[in-house]
Amino acid sequence: MNLFNTIYTGSNQALAAAEGLLKKAIEEKGIDHKVAFPETAYSLPIIYAATGQKMNTLQDLEGAIGVVKSLIDEQPRLEPALNAGLATAVSAEIIEAVKYALNETPYEAPCAGHISDAIIRSLGVPLVTGDIPGVAVVLGECPDSETAAKVIKDYQSKGLLTFLVGKVIDQAIEANVKMGLELRVIPLGYDVTSVIHVVSVAIRASLIFGGIEPGKLAEHMEYTKNRVPAFVNAFGPLSELVVSAGAGAIALGFPVITDQVVPEVPTLLLTQKDYDKVPATSLEARGIKIKITEIAIPVGFAAAFEGERVRKDD
Amino acid sequence: MEEKIYSIDPVTEELARKAEKEGIETLWDRKKVMKTPCGFGEQGLCCRICAMGPCRISPTEGKGAQKGICGATADVIIARNLARMIAAGTATHSDHGRDIAHVLHMAKRDGNYKITDEKKLLNLAKEWEVEIENRDIYDIAHEVAEIALNEFGKPFGTLRFLERAPEQRKSVWEKNDIRTGAIDKEIATIMHSTHIGCCADAKDLVHKGMRASLADGWGGSMIGTEFSDILFGVPVPRETEANLGVLEEDQVNIIVHGHEPSLSEMMVLAAEDPELLQLAKEVGAKGINLSGMCCTANEVTMRHGVKIAGNLNQQELAVLTGAVEAIIVDVQCIFPALAPLTKCYHTKFITTSPKAKITGATHMEFEEEKALQSAKEIVREAVLNFKNRDTKKVFIPKTKSHAVVGYSVEAIKSQLDRVVNSQLDEGGTLKPLADCIASGVIRGAAGVVGCNNPKVKHDYGHVELMKELIKNDVIVVTTGCAAQAAAKAGLMSKEARKLAGKGLAKVCELVDIPPVLHMGSCVDISRILVLVSELAKLLKVDISDLPVVGAAPEWMSEKAIAIGTYVVTSGIDTWLGVVPPVTGSDIIVDILTNKAEDIVGAKFHVEPDPHKAAQQMIERIEEKREALGLATEAVEA
Ligand code: SF4
Ligand code: SF4
Repeated sequence: MNLFNTIYTGSNQALAAAEGLLKKAIEEKGIDHKVAFPETAYSLPIIYAATGQKMNTLQDLEGAIGVVKSLIDEQPRLEPALNAGLATAVSAEIIEAVKYALNETPYEAPCAGHISDAIIRSLGVPLVTGDIPGVAVVLGECPDSETAAKVIKDYQSKGLLTFLVGKVIDQAIEANVKMGLELRVIPLGYDVTSVIHVVSVAIRASLIFGGIEPGKLAEHMEYTKNRVPAFVNAFGPLSELVVSAGAGAIALGFPVITDQVVPEVPTLLLTQKDYDKVPATSLEARGIKIKITEIAIPVGFAAAFEGERVRKDD
Repeated sequence: MEEKIYSIDPVTEELARKAEKEGIETLWDRKKVMKTPCGFGEQGLCCRICAMGPCRISPTEGKGAQKGICGATADVIIARNLARMIAAGTATHSDHGRDIAHVLHMAKRDGNYKITDEKKLLNLAKEWEVEIENRDIYDIAHEVAEIALNEFGKPFGTLRFLERAPEQRKSVWEKNDIRTGAIDKEIATIMHSTHIGCCADAKDLVHKGMRASLADGWGGSMIGTEFSDILFGVPVPRETEANLGVLEEDQVNIIVHGHEPSLSEMMVLAAEDPELLQLAKEVGAKGINLSGMCCTANEVTMRHGVKIAGNLNQQELAVLTGAVEAIIVDVQCIFPALAPLTKCYHTKFITTSPKAKITGATHMEFEEEKALQSAKEIVREAVLNFKNRDTKKVFIPKTKSHAVVGYSVEAIKSQLDRVVNSQLDEGGTLKPLADCIASGVIRGAAGVVGCNNPKVKHDYGHVELMKELIKNDVIVVTTGCAAQAAAKAGLMSKEARKLAGKGLAKVCELVDIPPVLHMGSCVDISRILVLVSELAKLLKVDISDLPVVGAAPEWMSEKAIAIGTYVVTSGIDTWLGVVPPVTGSDIIVDILTNKAEDIVGAKFHVEPDPHKAAQQMIERIEEKREALGLATEAVEA
């Protein structure tokens, strides 16, 4: 199918899901029920950055649905397609916010879900100094655990911060990838919509470090494109929803590299079927150059390995 | 009294008004004197092919003459006239190509003409199966040139360059018997078939026209472009300026006007000659300022960044600035009006080609055997003329625009290499462009070409059409006077991406190009044929399947008719902004704007309003995208 149509289909699906879930939540909890992510001063960060408005109740979220609708204009052009991608991001944030409204702890270990302001502030310095040279979002399912581990460990060895979304989390666990903030591998959640928690990190970087005013969406997008060196690896069959979320990533300036056959867009949406080359392809697409400190150690050496035990069979 | 606006270009408008005020005649005045054009000629209904005539057919059916004296119907007369226009256009481009091939044939290691791009020569030698191992590059060049020269009159077979088209296109041509033989033969056949008492089948005459037109696009023009690149270098992106504001108050201003780079290339060298520069100082000038007009300008701007003085409708206005020491011309699109006009100023009007002598001009024949010396003599004439300039008469408009030019197919590929991920693809292909089109980031591509024509507001058709297209994420490639209109309007500056839709703007940013790409002169439309052929091959479709369109918003010449015809015959829908003289025949109109699609997969559209034309072009592009199902399959390099 035509790429833009796929995006619009996914964006409409996300919208329908957000509307459905919100309706259910309102029925269950009442329209004035409180909405918030824990430990953040930025309310629902994406909606806040995009509109300047803070979301406090489920009723406010009904208003946010209007924002989503206004972002979906099904014209066969890049601009509306990217906007539809942003619409999906907003829908996802609504869905995730409702999760937190319905349940105090919707995420349990190993999944992190929402990331706190404190963690983002702690990441600020290493991101600026290049100690964290990039942010990888690995999403979906690899053909096998080994492949998943190889890709993730490659990023880990280069000091990148890697977020995991979907089945790849289980694959990483199965292949004994060491995780945790200090190891720079953070599983977010199993639902596609949980990818929003890394978008939220990028957007809050723009709010916190970029000092960009809430409501100035175009400036936030400029900031994330220029200053947050993130990219997405989408593995396994791509649903329309994932494709439209990918468009959201591209709108923020983050290229998407997938193992699936898609209509490619140079530097922004690429197909790389050779998993060994996924990291190099991704880094090149995002323009990430690794500061190599030549150290005569024959194994992957990076800050992310601090505290790793050496297993017997290694 | 209603004020007539001549042009959207402020410089043109200003100078045209100046001429008006001073009573100096320009094309617009002559157009006015012409009054309402003859309705017979306008509809193509008159015939002067034999001395039984002239005959003219009544435009009203059943009333007045319905046939010529020989019995030719309106359909036949119009078809014959159309075929002859195509033949004439093809002849000009072919003779141009032939000359360049001759120049390559005389190229010598220590001569004025040398081989500049060996790689392009070797590629062509390989394509034509010329032995290259252990051979002197000049021997190879001479053999390649000889093969090209034989393309004009070879007794058997079809044109070599037709093989560059995608297989699907070749079989369309094969099936419809359009595969062109020797270039000159096709032209001669049309002249034969259109003689009194010969071909009297309108449909067949159009068919002959289509076939002959390929002898232009895939023959003469392509030879012209290829060989010019080999001799003078493949264009690469470079900066330049456009419009009459490029003339300099304190320098000797020389304008080269016409078409063939064999002359203009030498003029570029001569204008840098230290002795002549010294001479310029001696006559009180700060230097020699060379600029170009029409296609010659395109040739030298593409290869050397020589400034563009203007396009067709501005040639007289250049003289009106009073600051031009010499207009040096060769062939094609040179108004004979320049002869009397230059007499009112100090400007020397110098013709150089035995093919285009003009009464009242100074003829200094350009001899290719001693090309540089010839060019220097001509430049010397211009320099010595500086002292005759009447400073009281000098008026140089301030306006000029910045432009980036030089987008040969090779240059486009190397720009595209910027976005190739080295882990995924090899560079040096059009794959990134094909990807952008297939994914829909760019909706399609449009070639906007052609002349100026006082029937429409100068540059309006070109500029409005291009703006509308880029706004809708259609990338524009352009040549000829259309390209110069774009350059003057600032559409070739990288800044112009602001005027583009987000998709095209993004691509322009990533690839570092303007949204409107200057691909050269009129013969360089053959570059566009090569470009679309390669795109079609990458996407594994025929050219007629591509979301690609063409337009000539302000066409006027027979060359433009030949071009339009070969573009349609190559499978690309073409929009004309000026109505061709065929409206007297329903059959011909039906073939051109309708039935042609069944034969070659494309047709003509006539739409004088550039905004409407743009909408129609965009709709057509979307239709083609739909039909292609773009894009499910990835593009393979
Ligand atoms: S060819 Fe026929 S139509 Fe033409 S001028 Fe002669 S008699 Fe008339
Ligand atoms: S575009 Fe038309 S007017 Fe301009 S140089 Fe070419 S043929 Fe002549």
